Amino acid sequence: MSKFADIQIDPGIVRRAARGDVRAHEIIYRAFSAPVYSICLRFTRVPANAEDLLQETFVEIIRNIAAFRGEAPLGSWIRRIAVSKALMFLRSAWHSRGQSLDDEFEEVTPGRPESHGISGHPEHAIDLDAALANLPSVSRAVVWLHDVEGFTHKEIAGLMGKTESFSKSQLSRAYQRLRPFLEAHAAEKSASTAMEGPALGSC
Amino acid sequence: MTIDQDPQDETMNGVLSASEHERLRQGLIDLPDTMPRRSVWRRIEAQARAEGMLAKQRVHQQLKWLVGAGIAAAVVLAVLRLPGALDPDAAEQIAGEREFPTEPRYTEQTASSNAQALNVLMVQSQQLEHDLRAVPYQPRLMRASTAATISSLEDRIAAIDYQLNYPAIRMSPAQTQLYWRERVRLMDSLVKLRYAQAQRASF
Repeated sequence: MSKFADIQIDPGIVRRAARGDVRAHEIIYRAFSAPVYSICLRFTRVPANAEDLLQETFVEIIRNIAAFRGEAPLGSWIRRIAVSKALMFLRSAWHSRGQSLDDEFEEVTPGRPESHGISGHPEHAIDLDAALANLPSVSRAVVWLHDVEGFTHKEIAGLMGKTESFSKSQLSRAYQRLRPFLEAHAAEKSASTAMEGPALGSC
Repeated sequence: MTIDQDPQDETMNGVLSASEHERLRQGLIDLPDTMPRRSVWRRIEAQARAEGMLAKQRVHQQLKWLVGAGIAAAVVLAVLRLPGALDPDAAEQIAGEREFPTEPRYTEQTASSNAQALNVLMVQSQQLEHDLRAVPYQPRLMRASTAATISSLEDRIAAIDYQLNYPAIRMSPAQTQLYWRERVRLMDSLVKLRYAQAQRASF
C-alpha cells in the first residue's frame, strides 16, 4: 500500500492552503515531502534532480490546490502530480540523449547504492535498494508504480504515453533482473534456518 | 489499492512465483523514505511568493500586536507586583507573603501566562527565521563538519515542525511550549552557524 494513503490532512488545513495561507502549505509540505522526495529519488537516483522535482511538485500543488475538490484523497492527488513530474523528467532525459523509451531497457546502469542516498548495508552483498537501483529508469519506475503505488498497467501506460503491453513487458523484464536478488535472499534465509535447526535439535 | 491481476499478469508470474512476488512487493513497500534537505521548503516558498501564489503575510501586524500586548502586560504586571511603591502596608503584606511561598496555582492566569510564553517563543522563532533568510546564501564550498552540523540542525528543526504541525499529534500546552523552546534554541544555533559561515566565506 502506498505511503501516501496513510497521510491524513485536516480539511481545514486544505481550505486554508487554498486561500494561500503559507503556514497551511508548509504543514502539507511537511507531511508529504518525504514520500514525494523518495519517489523522485527512486526515479531519478540523483538527489539534486529529486530536489528540483520536489520543488516543482509543491509549486504545482500551491498553484492548483484551490481547484482540488476533495473527491479523491489529497495524498492521491499529490502522488499523481509527483509521479507525473518525475516521469516528465525521465522523458526529457531520454529526449536529450536521443534515446527512445523502448531502447531504455538496455541502458547500463551500474549500481552504486551509496551514491543514490540509498542504504548500502555492508553485511549484505546485494540488497533490495541496490537491486532496484541497478534497473534501468523506466523499468524501475514501472516496478515502483505497479507494485508499491498500486497503479494499473492501463494507468502506467497512460502516464508514460505507451501501451499496456509496454508496461507489462517492462515489469516482466524487471522481475527477471530482480529474480537473482530474490533467490539469493531466499538462499540466505534457508541457510540461516538450516544452521539454526541442528543447534536447536541438539539441545 | 489493489494490484491488478489480469490474464497477462500470468506472464509475470511465470518469472516470479506468487510468494516471490509478494516478498518483493513487501520489500519495496518497506523501504524507508528519505527526507529532503530543509532548504527545499525555503526555495518553494520563495518561488511561490515570487509568483504571487501566497497570501501576503501579516507578520508585521501580528508582531506589532504582540509587542503591544507584551508591553501592556509588562505594565500591568509591574503595577501589580509593586504596590509597595504606592502603599507601605501593602509592601509589608507582600514581604510577608514572600516568606511563605505557595505552590503555583493552575488557574486561568496560569493558562494565560502559558499562552504568553508560547507567543514570545513563536515571535522569537519567526524573528530567527527572518534572520536566517537574511544571511547571504550558503557558499558552494563548506567544511564537511559544518555541513553535517547544519544538516543535523535542519533535520531536527524539521522533525519538531512535523510534531508541531501534524494534526494527528495531540500535545499538552506544556509539551507544545517545550517543543517551541527547543525550536528556538536550534534555530538560534543554526542562525549563528550560518552567520559565522557567511562571514568566513566573505574573507
